[in-house]
Amino acid sequence: MIILTGDVYHAIAQHAEEIYPNECVGLLLGRITGMRTEVEDVFPAPNRWTAEVGLTPTDADHSQRDRFYLDPRDYLRADRVANARGLDVVGCYHSHPDHLAVPSPRDLMGAQAIGSGSRFVFLIQSVHRGRAAELTAWLLVDDGARFVAEEMR
Amino acid sequence: MPVTVTIPTALRQYAGGHASITLPAGSAGQILATLREQYPQLGKQLYNDQGALRSFVNVYVGDEDIRHLQGVETPVADGETVSIIPAIAGGVLDGAR
Repeated sequence: MIILTGDVYHAIAQHAEEIYPNECVGLLLGRITGMRTEVEDVFPAPNRWTAEVGLTPTDADHSQRDRFYLDPRDYLRADRVANARGLDVVGCYHSHPDHLAVPSPRDLMGAQAIGSGSRFVFLIQSVHRGRAAELTAWLLVDDGARFVAEEMR
Repeated sequence: MPVTVTIPTALRQYAGGHASITLPAGSAGQILATLREQYPQLGKQLYNDQGALRSFVNVYVGDEDIRHLQGVETPVADGETVSIIPAIAGGVLDGAR
């Protein structure tokens, strides 16, 4: 179960709309207790994708409209902010502009540094014509082979 | 004062649930080797089958990526922090809109 508290829903939607038509990215700060991941705040990060980040040979043909990269320096900053507040980085979010809020094969490829089987949550915010739409939650399972949808409220 | 190695949330399950681990000072490579020895499952998450750090796994000493320092030869003194930090990428597929 993923619990989004306070203004988290709104903050993610707002970030996704601001960055549209590009993809936004950020980290989720909160606590993991047993099977429950509670998100208390967001840490919006710059989308630092460039062709050099490319996971595949055809990546140079793409842009931040259909690619994102969360730089480890931003993760480190988020981690320090979280720790100072007694929280952890418990997940990440990104947007799918004019696309469904379901993980792409590329999302799976780019999540491989995150160990599977944990309660670290991946949120995807779809944005249609500049307006935030559906927000979905996913966990990485089976040694990183697939995402499964997770209940969220 | 030993070196502190911080473990990202998602990988703590492979490190006995610890958020941080204290190890003796040494080179970054020595510290990572000790970590792999103590937590073999964590080692599999950090290294590929060829024994190299996975491309989206980053090791920082203080505020700097060891790839921009001396790599695994980077010295880590007592009191310093080694952070294991994931990068995350993704994006919708072209033609799938």
